[in-house]
Amino acid sequence: MSDYSLFGDTQIAPNCGKTVKQGGGAEKPFDDQRAPKISLRNVHKSFKGRKVLDDISMDIMPGESHVVIGLSGAGKSVLIKCILGLLRPDSGTILINGEDWFDMSIEERLRRMPCIGVLFQGAALFDSMCVWENVAFVLLQQSMPRVDARKQAEQMLEMVGLPGIGDKMPAELSGGMKKRVGLARAICHRPEIVFYDEPLAGLDPVMSDVITILLKRLHETMNVTSLTIAHNMKLVQAFSDQVSMLYEGKIYAQVSAQELQETKDPLIRQFVEGRAEGPIRFGFESEMSGQPDANDKGEAT
Amino acid sequence: MLILQSIGAATERLAHAFGLYPLMMAKVLARMRKPPWFFALIIRQCEKVGVQSLPVALLTAVFTGMVMALQSWVAFHRFGAESMIATVVSLSILRELGPVLVGLMVAGRVGASFAAELGTMRVSEQIDALWTLSTDPVRYLVMPRLIAVIVMMPLLVVLADAVGMFGGYVISVHVLDQNPHTYLRNSFEYLQLIDFYSGLLKAAVFGFIIGLVSCAEGYYCAGGAAGVGQATTRAVVISAMSILIADYILTAWIFQ
Repeated sequence: MSDYSLFGDTQIAPNCGKTVKQGGGAEKPFDDQRAPKISLRNVHKSFKGRKVLDDISMDIMPGESHVVIGLSGAGKSVLIKCILGLLRPDSGTILINGEDWFDMSIEERLRRMPCIGVLFQGAALFDSMCVWENVAFVLLQQSMPRVDARKQAEQMLEMVGLPGIGDKMPAELSGGMKKRVGLARAICHRPEIVFYDEPLAGLDPVMSDVITILLKRLHETMNVTSLTIAHNMKLVQAFSDQVSMLYEGKIYAQVSAQELQETKDPLIRQFVEGRAEGPIRFGFESEMSGQPDANDKGEAT
Repeated sequence: MLILQSIGAATERLAHAFGLYPLMMAKVLARMRKPPWFFALIIRQCEKVGVQSLPVALLTAVFTGMVMALQSWVAFHRFGAESMIATVVSLSILRELGPVLVGLMVAGRVGASFAAELGTMRVSEQIDALWTLSTDPVRYLVMPRLIAVIVMMPLLVVLADAVGMFGGYVISVHVLDQNPHTYLRNSFEYLQLIDFYSGLLKAAVFGFIIGLVSCAEGYYCAGGAAGVGQATTRAVVISAMSILIADYILTAWIFQ
């Protein structure tokens, strides 16, 4: 497995165009380490009258690994899409590096985008490009010579444990390989903030463990700020500094991974332990127990 | 009440569908002023739209020319005006059949491909991924396709015109025993430049319609695989209908 130091000592942080020295260098990519990298204030988002995000506020500090958990349909993906600017919130403020991207022109937002890397749930690799072109996409768009871009992409692929597959097409890869290529693409341009949208979805337990280890290693070596959407509690335990639980569009709890394991809150316990029985109701419990269901609206008691 | 609700829902769907095209047009126009232009992608799309559509366009044109010659002969033979076959074939192909039939063929082949491709990219989050990889999806995906189809349609029509007229010539001379010199002279003698240019103008407009409708349908596609299928069908049907409507409007405007 490659070491991240293979990138050399000096990089242009693509994010804000500032020079960043690594290794012995002292300069940091973002000047204020006490200011949140991502800050949400009173964010609301509804679809056809249904509140999906309801007054969401949270701060993600530099270097923090923040994991968002919650039931399917709780609004996790909408949250990440709002932060990425793919959906505009109905109200509220979202700041990335202290800036509201929704106030900017498209060109300005695109100029700032390289400070972000995203691993999509289905990897979202471009079918028409081979693997290395996918991984080096941002570098190629930034007019890096193809030879250099390929070299960097191959290093990234080696880093995620997939050396020598640069010339393959995405259709030739398994689900786990696609995920790892997606991961290589997300970090190839050295982003400051990385978003992982359900990185273990659809993977077998072994591949889930591989990806968990990779994410942890990347987080430690690159010192990025990350926001992860996850259902897998093993990943949450291994990877999170802070955990937010979304429930019915609101942040139900914001705790550390340790607190998440120790909490007595029945709703969180039900989610963490993955039980059908508990305060979160799905409407079929009465059939299971043979008793009339007093609360079949899917609401917490 | 139910009828009113159905009418309301249908109107809303229609407004939504037709709202997509001005929206997409506005996005494209807003980006026209500044680079990047992605010339390599434009060239690649030109190859897909133009070169790969050539067999379909030429085959359609040659058989249309042949059928035109046969049908005209049947009609003109009744009152001994067979010499007019050449003029009718060339005028019909240059003014109408060339651009309209090539437009319909390209709408079916290229329009469906654009909508399906962009729709699949949308539902598999590839368009979102482009955005997060610092690339404007409208510039990267829509503009090259739109430019390519506007540029390549007139070129396809020029070739289709030539091949269609050749088809008419082959049938008239070799099957209907027309004099080849007279046929060729009559083919061009009554033509005016406007007949040729109007076909090219129509081709460019049809190209614009195909590109805009198909790209908008694919780009704003939703609803998984079924949504992609619906978007593709809508792209072809709306493109084809729009071509026929635009053809009438252009014809009325040019030849009034």
